[in-house]
Amino acid sequence: MIELRRAAAVVLLFLGVGVGLHLLLEPMREAGQPAVVKAMALGAGLAMAVLGIIGGVLIARVPKERIDGVTEHLEDMVRRGAIGLAISETESDALGRLGHAINRYLSFVKEEVEQSHLEAKERQIQMKVLDAEKRHVEAVIHAISDGVVVIDAFGDLMLSNAAAEDIFGFKFDPAVRRPIEEVITDTGFLALINDMRETGLFTPHRTVGWSQGSGEQARTWRVILNTVVEGKRRDRISGVVAVLHDVTKEKEIARMKSDFVSNVSHELKAPLASIRAYTEMLVDGEARNETETREYLHVIGTETDRMNRLIDNILNLSRLESGLVPVNKTDLAVTEILRDVADVMTPQAVQRNIRLEADLAPVFFRVQGDRDMLYQAVLNVVSNAVKYTPEGGQVKISTYLDDSAVVVDVADTGYGIPPEDSGRVFEKFYRARHSAKVVKGTGLGLALVKHVVEVIHGGRVTVESVVGKGSVFRLYLPAVR
Amino acid sequence: MPCRVLIVDDEIAIANVVARKLQNAGLETSVATDGQEGYEQALARRPDFMITDLQMPGMTGVELCTRLTAELDEPIPTILLTAKGFEIDRAVLTHLPILHVMTKPFSPSELLAAVREALGLCAPA
Repeated sequence: MIELRRAAAVVLLFLGVGVGLHLLLEPMREAGQPAVVKAMALGAGLAMAVLGIIGGVLIARVPKERIDGVTEHLEDMVRRGAIGLAISETESDALGRLGHAINRYLSFVKEEVEQSHLEAKERQIQMKVLDAEKRHVEAVIHAISDGVVVIDAFGDLMLSNAAAEDIFGFKFDPAVRRPIEEVITDTGFLALINDMRETGLFTPHRTVGWSQGSGEQARTWRVILNTVVEGKRRDRISGVVAVLHDVTKEKEIARMKSDFVSNVSHELKAPLASIRAYTEMLVDGEARNETETREYLHVIGTETDRMNRLIDNILNLSRLESGLVPVNKTDLAVTEILRDVADVMTPQAVQRNIRLEADLAPVFFRVQGDRDMLYQAVLNVVSNAVKYTPEGGQVKISTYLDDSAVVVDVADTGYGIPPEDSGRVFEKFYRARHSAKVVKGTGLGLALVKHVVEVIHGGRVTVESVVGKGSVFRLYLPAVR
Repeated sequence: MPCRVLIVDDEIAIANVVARKLQNAGLETSVATDGQEGYEQALARRPDFMITDLQMPGMTGVELCTRLTAELDEPIPTILLTAKGFEIDRAVLTHLPILHVMTKPFSPSELLAAVREALGLCAPA
């Protein structure tokens, strides 16, 4: 009989305390604290065992009412989800001592639970910080102008940024991992990635060129591939990181430089060819009289000057750009510069039957500027206008005040610039494809204009053009008030 | 009847010096200063020989030669002058009656010798 009561008591205590702790711990499990839950479960298990045994031993001896009181009290605590003193310890008998032990134990549990709550809160804060940092890193990766593509060990796309999405034309969803082949269709790029996944252990870092499109749309990237190697013996590839840097522009610059060298050498060879040929004619006695001799010598002289001018132009621009030329700014009248340019250009315009008109306001708009440099800049624009206008056309120079800028307009009725070229005519070495056929040049004139107006004078140069109708080059220079 | 040579070069000084050299050697010359003008003169006068620059505004020397070859029954043997040299795609030239490519700067005497060799009989000794 006593055995049965003990067993019943053990079951009762087990159930009571077990359910109580379960109720207490459940909210914490939901907060996602597996470590705490584990610790508490262990504590609960121990508590149940100890209380069960002691309770079972004692239960046979104490009056039923007092046991009922303790049970009710414990159940009440469970219902309220509270942990605190369980039993009044007025009696010093066995039940009193049990009460004392339970109270001490409950205090201990309370402390532990509070500690766990504290730790859980701390961990939540840490997680929030980590989450914020993760978002921050992702935002940084997203903002990088280079394309970033990260593939995990299974070949699924793990991370990518806006630049990569632009390159490949997909939208990355961080919530769904999809095989890279489903996201990116370019077989060339996929081959790079797959090759990296297969052989990346031996060569974990690689830089390769990769191109997309052809003709005008062709773009080239430098792809930097890295494998993420893991494992104790570093024998497992857990991912591949690809960074794509657009080198289209760099390639274009390299091409333009090579074009420039080719242009310059061609331009230098033209006068050189004349000098060489006329010299040989003189040496071979091909000049039949004094007049012819003088004519040959004159050609040699002018061609030498022409060659020298070209070399000067190249050097000027290079010295200007490297800041070697001292800038001598004074308060000067733009109108005067325009008049000088018009005077100098008139003979050339007349020769080509082009009407060069200088519609200059009687007001002398003033700017702070380097006279020689501005003269050269305006001369380049007007000289271009005359060169690129067919015979019988018109070139008009005008100036006016617009807000706080003195504007110089050079309008021609020339061949015009195709839209795809108009944005680039100020680039050094760049020559519009059509213009290269029509007029000889080095592709330096407008580069000098841009540098003088924008870098040296803080102004702006623009061009508006319609093919077959003509162009308007507009120089904005900050006005002196 | 002297051989008639058409000289096409947008560098007028070059065209003139070549013309003078050939005239002094007894050849008849005419000068054009761009591809279009050269094309028109070639059709109108049917020269025996042509010396043309490669890089010219509008129509290049190769384009000029290609058009003339397509249009005329008798191709005009041609010497191509160029400041470019190694940048020329030789494959383009194989179907054209271009006998020599001379790079600028060139020697007028050597040019004359090449023209004489090409013309053979019609050039006076």
